Amino acid sequence: MPRIIVCLKYAIDVSQIKVDSATRKLLIADAPRKISDFDKNALEEAVKIKVKHGGEVIALTATAENASTALREALAMGADKAIQIQDPNIQNADTMMVSNILAEAIRKIGSFDIILCGEASIDSYSGQVGPRLAEVLGIPAVTYVSKVTLEGNTLTVERSLEDCSEVIMVKTPVLLTVTKEINVPRVPTLMDIIKASKKEVLTWTLADIDVKGEKIATPSIKVVDVSAPKIERKRIKISGESPKEIAENLVKALIQEGVIGG
Amino acid sequence: MYDFTETEEQKLMVKAVKEWCERHLTPERVREMDDKGHPYPKDIVEGLASLGVIMGTVPQEHGGLGLDWKTQALIAEVIGYYDPTVATAAGFMAVETGWGFTINRYCSEVVREKYVKPAIRGEKFVGIGATEPIGGSDVAGHRTTARKEGDYWILNGEKTFISGTEEAKLWGGGYWVNARTGPVIPEAPHRNITAFFVPIDAEGVEVIEPYRDAGRMAISTGGFVMKDVKIPDEYRLGEVGKGFYYTMEGFDNARLMIGASCAGATRRILDDAIPYIKERKVFGMPLAKYEAIQFELAELYMEMEALKLMVMKTAWMQDIRYKEEGLPVKVSEAKTFKPTEIAKWISMVKWKGPFLALKAAEKAMIWFGAAGYTKEYLFEAAWRGVMSYVVGAEGGQNIQKIVIGRELLGKEYVPYK
Repeated sequence: MPRIIVCLKYAIDVSQIKVDSATRKLLIADAPRKISDFDKNALEEAVKIKVKHGGEVIALTATAENASTALREALAMGADKAIQIQDPNIQNADTMMVSNILAEAIRKIGSFDIILCGEASIDSYSGQVGPRLAEVLGIPAVTYVSKVTLEGNTLTVERSLEDCSEVIMVKTPVLLTVTKEINVPRVPTLMDIIKASKKEVLTWTLADIDVKGEKIATPSIKVVDVSAPKIERKRIKISGESPKEIAENLVKALIQEGVIGG
Repeated sequence: MYDFTETEEQKLMVKAVKEWCERHLTPERVREMDDKGHPYPKDIVEGLASLGVIMGTVPQEHGGLGLDWKTQALIAEVIGYYDPTVATAAGFMAVETGWGFTINRYCSEVVREKYVKPAIRGEKFVGIGATEPIGGSDVAGHRTTARKEGDYWILNGEKTFISGTEEAKLWGGGYWVNARTGPVIPEAPHRNITAFFVPIDAEGVEVIEPYRDAGRMAISTGGFVMKDVKIPDEYRLGEVGKGFYYTMEGFDNARLMIGASCAGATRRILDDAIPYIKERKVFGMPLAKYEAIQFELAELYMEMEALKLMVMKTAWMQDIRYKEEGLPVKVSEAKTFKPTEIAKWISMVKWKGPFLALKAAEKAMIWFGAAGYTKEYLFEAAWRGVMSYVVGAEGGQNIQKIVIGRELLGKEYVPYK
């Protein structure tokens, strides 16, 4: 029976970020956080595998803020255990540091068969943590997975790439990053939530997983600036003598803008 | 002491209900439900039931979740938000949750197993059959009768303007029905009334065609005639002669759900209106910059927040009441708050909620001009829907004022018994 670890990012809910209209700076301080969307897909897939094959699902996050409510939601969705590595130093951690932290936490958790991550996070969208984590742990990574079938210790996975899809067979232990298309995450029932509230969310500090020194040193990546793009309407007026001509001109304009194919 | 902090469990429950509604009670679906009319779509009921929102306050050992009324009110607010026509809230928050909870409190194990639990699972419909052709608010003056014959009761009477009759007929289910089981005592006409659970398919129950309502189209409103309907004694709710008191308790629970769902409907109307009034320019200026509109918005928002506070306080009082009375069986009088004090708050919520949602819908329609009068927006459907509460569903608006007045002035100032 597979032991599955799902890495969840307690990400900024980008749909609720406000923008300073004068400076275009993102006002993220008050923006609420939630489980990153693709990570929810990863969790759903883990729960589906557990329902079919048995086993255990462990939800794991590395976070500067207390993510216990989000992890409680993960428990309500079907995770058996939830662990947060909470430390203020994680606030400015880059993808390499987060991967190292998660790797140490996974070593502390012990054995596993499958690690599931989202293809990327909804806020920074680097797509790096999953593959980096696999590298640190020395296991294969298969990215952009849109379908998973498990038989014994072999996974058959479909990768959705831009212009094609690949089918790959891989043995456990393995790390997969999943796309949004893989499933529709379940909405936990109120009874699931009641049951989840009785489960424990474990909180570990960096010290608890022996992370120190270079692993939490200065990030390799320095974010210099983040600002919202300025989108201005082109104010193109489509005109013509007849509805047919207007429609034709509209189609031409859309082709010219690259909205639809020519 | 009241604590406004939502618990982690409440936050997650509200989030889950919102997410479910985002997927299933979309504006397009709500519009389709309103256009198509009843019966209420079964897939939505089953979904709501699977989620656990119908009769969530029923104890877990009876098939519910054992939620408190504060949590159930937060859920009802979300339901009102996503279906501002209030068809969903009327059918499954006010009627099924408000009355279903109360039925469960007084019913036998037989009724619970055959009707309450299946309704919680979204399989059957249970509701309240209060109104009669002579009117709805004069509960003590209703004319349905019941006479005891051995282990059975024989009921005769007629119920009108009853929510969900078509659904109950299609899915199975039944209604709380009050009947006079003893003589009218002129100085106390509310005595000698007994509550029963009448299955919709009982022999002698004739269901009439649903009315052609103006709003909340997705849930039917009909009626039924009872001619020598033979009901086993185990279908009696509570003690003989105490039906009036139980009915007031049922109204309390249903009216609380109405207040909460109207707060949600109001918030939805404002959320739908705000982007438009910021965007739409008239005489070179966004509508939102005109004080005539901005001030109305501010007033509606203030009233909505006041309503929400009232709903939460009332739910908190109900929670204390039920904690003190004990669930599922009423064992004593409430201690901290007199039932009449709670009824006053319930009536304030029932009065304010529908009028506020109605006003918000009306204002939004006016802000939007001709566009607001079309079916492109849900304002007109909300306006028609909440009007059902204004005209009298779950108690006429003026009755609420009488209840409030009674508490302020004393029983001797009640205009009629």
